[in-house]
Amino acid sequence: MSEGLLTTTVGSFPKPDYLAQARNQFSLGKIGREELMALERQATAEVIDLQEEVGLDILVHGEMERGDMVAYFAELLNESMAISGLVRSYGNRYYRKPIIIGKLHWQGPMTVEMWRYAQSLTAKPVKGMLTGPYTMVEWSFDEHYESRREAVLDMARVIHQEAVELEKAGARYIQVDEPAASTRPEEMELVAQGLAVVTEGLKAKTITHMCYGDFARVFDQIARLPVDQLDIETANSDYDLLELFRRHRFDKEVALGVLDVHDHRVETVEEVKEGIRKGLEVLPPERLYIDPDCGLKTRTWEEAAAKLRVMVQAVREVRHELGIEG
Amino acid sequence: MLTTVVGSYPKIPNRPRPARLRAAIARSERGEIGQDELRRVEDEVTIEVIQEQVEAGIDLVSDGQIRWEDDQTYFARRMDGFTIDGLIRYFDTNTYYRQPTVTGAVRWRQPIAAEDYRFAAAHSPRPVKALVTGPYTLAALSANQHYGSFGELVLTLAQELRQEVLALEKAGASIIQVNEPAILKQKEDFPLFGQALERMMEGVAAEAHLYTWFGDIEGLFPRIMELPFSAIGLDFVMGPANYEIIRRAPFAKKLGLGIVDARNTKLETVEQIVERVRRVSDVVPLESVYVNPSCGLEYLPREAAQAKLARMVAGVRRAQEVLG
Repeated sequence: MSEGLLTTTVGSFPKPDYLAQARNQFSLGKIGREELMALERQATAEVIDLQEEVGLDILVHGEMERGDMVAYFAELLNESMAISGLVRSYGNRYYRKPIIIGKLHWQGPMTVEMWRYAQSLTAKPVKGMLTGPYTMVEWSFDEHYESRREAVLDMARVIHQEAVELEKAGARYIQVDEPAASTRPEEMELVAQGLAVVTEGLKAKTITHMCYGDFARVFDQIARLPVDQLDIETANSDYDLLELFRRHRFDKEVALGVLDVHDHRVETVEEVKEGIRKGLEVLPPERLYIDPDCGLKTRTWEEAAAKLRVMVQAVREVRHELGIEG
Repeated sequence: MLTTVVGSYPKIPNRPRPARLRAAIARSERGEIGQDELRRVEDEVTIEVIQEQVEAGIDLVSDGQIRWEDDQTYFARRMDGFTIDGLIRYFDTNTYYRQPTVTGAVRWRQPIAAEDYRFAAAHSPRPVKALVTGPYTLAALSANQHYGSFGELVLTLAQELRQEVLALEKAGASIIQVNEPAILKQKEDFPLFGQALERMMEGVAAEAHLYTWFGDIEGLFPRIMELPFSAIGLDFVMGPANYEIIRRAPFAKKLGLGIVDARNTKLETVEQIVERVRRVSDVVPLESVYVNPSCGLEYLPREAAQAKLARMVAGVRRAQEVLG
């Protein structure tokens, strides 16, 4: 029997209420860092337990210690980055936009301790999770560099060092998320150059997650991105991206998004199986991973758990039908 | 040479100043306060952001679009024929809006921004310009499920939005700005665009300004000079080619000179601003120039936005000394 259709998730999990409250208390100065970190660890252990219980193959630590995927790193890179203030993203939602204020450099491990803790709780592999250099720069103001290219390449050296540290700690999968890459498909070459710096010399399996965008005209560049696996959003766009894999040569692994994370509704097993079968039409099972479209942090804990259970059940049924081992 | 803004101003300040509008919207969404109370906070914040523009030295201010959730839905929600759908990215920004979908005949029902204009004008020591999202951009950033063609939708919107322009004029607006960033992304639509704006501005006596951003007018100049507007606003930050393009033919209108980057906190130096004004000074007489940021200021934190305006004004004053 062949192997394949390994299951995973994109990265973030919903924060339990007690942690959301504690983060708020911490920002108001009402509790100390030690207390907050203890609760982050408690929540991380719960995220690992949930994934074990659901039966996922490759786990994540859930990003309980992160609020925003860019601001988290910016705050730790405090010799070259700061937080500028609140900027509206839509409606009544605001985010704290970071700002590059000096030459970017790695100051010390940013993600290793939490990864190590999460990995200590499970025998299954836990992915190391990083924000990609293009996204870090695109979602920050820049008061230091003369060009975006310089900023992205310096940021890439910072993220590369962090990836090396994760690998030294034992991470076998390192994911470098580039959700901003879909903003300007014409800059895919810069995204690729940044990722090339990040992944250079790594032995761990490297993954990049991208959100849905106008990828058709830059698919050749996406197919050549210097990572082993491409994690894409497909369920919420009716799997139309798969058409590109049919038309173009593609040698990498694909993590196929089969759950719409922006929808409260829990998919049916049949719907998810249909999505998996669509993926199998264009990729062999050993190169096809199954996961949600995007991070689960905007869902409730119960919705996230229910969606993942359906996903794992669907994968089991398809594996059984095709005689594939997990 | 006068200074102005393109339109939007950040709705909330940063700590320690309270984010009153954010709190009021959240309370209104939870049903804890009514529309009157929300309106009262919007009024206060509108006055506050007009004051901030005046403090920075801006000659022609806006109401900061404090009541607008975005350029599209503010109009779409108040007209017939639209439903409001899911979030979608606004051009290449990290800002999103709920996409209007045209599901029936679009129709202007009643004044949309006229009361806002009246309020702002009554509370501003400086002239206020009124703002309208143009028919082309409103159509391009919406989904059309009703009209047989995109052109039909654009022309119908132009006819309906004309009512809004007339309502603003009636409310006393002496300068009315029409915002059309989307035409820079589909330049082949210029004939339709021109036809729509002719229709929209027919019989309008107020001074009309046409503003674009996030690109250049390569391919539209000098045709754009034939449109019924007395000023054309251009983004020279994301569209640096505009410096060369406007030299190719006489620029017989006022120029909205967008030379301060409203998408980055980095402050331009006074010398940079002087240099950018100098680059257009032999194309457009300085008395026909409005200097403004490259686009609306909502991409910046509140404090950075005001600092940008203050620096812009300092640069313009220096340019006036240097360039006479």
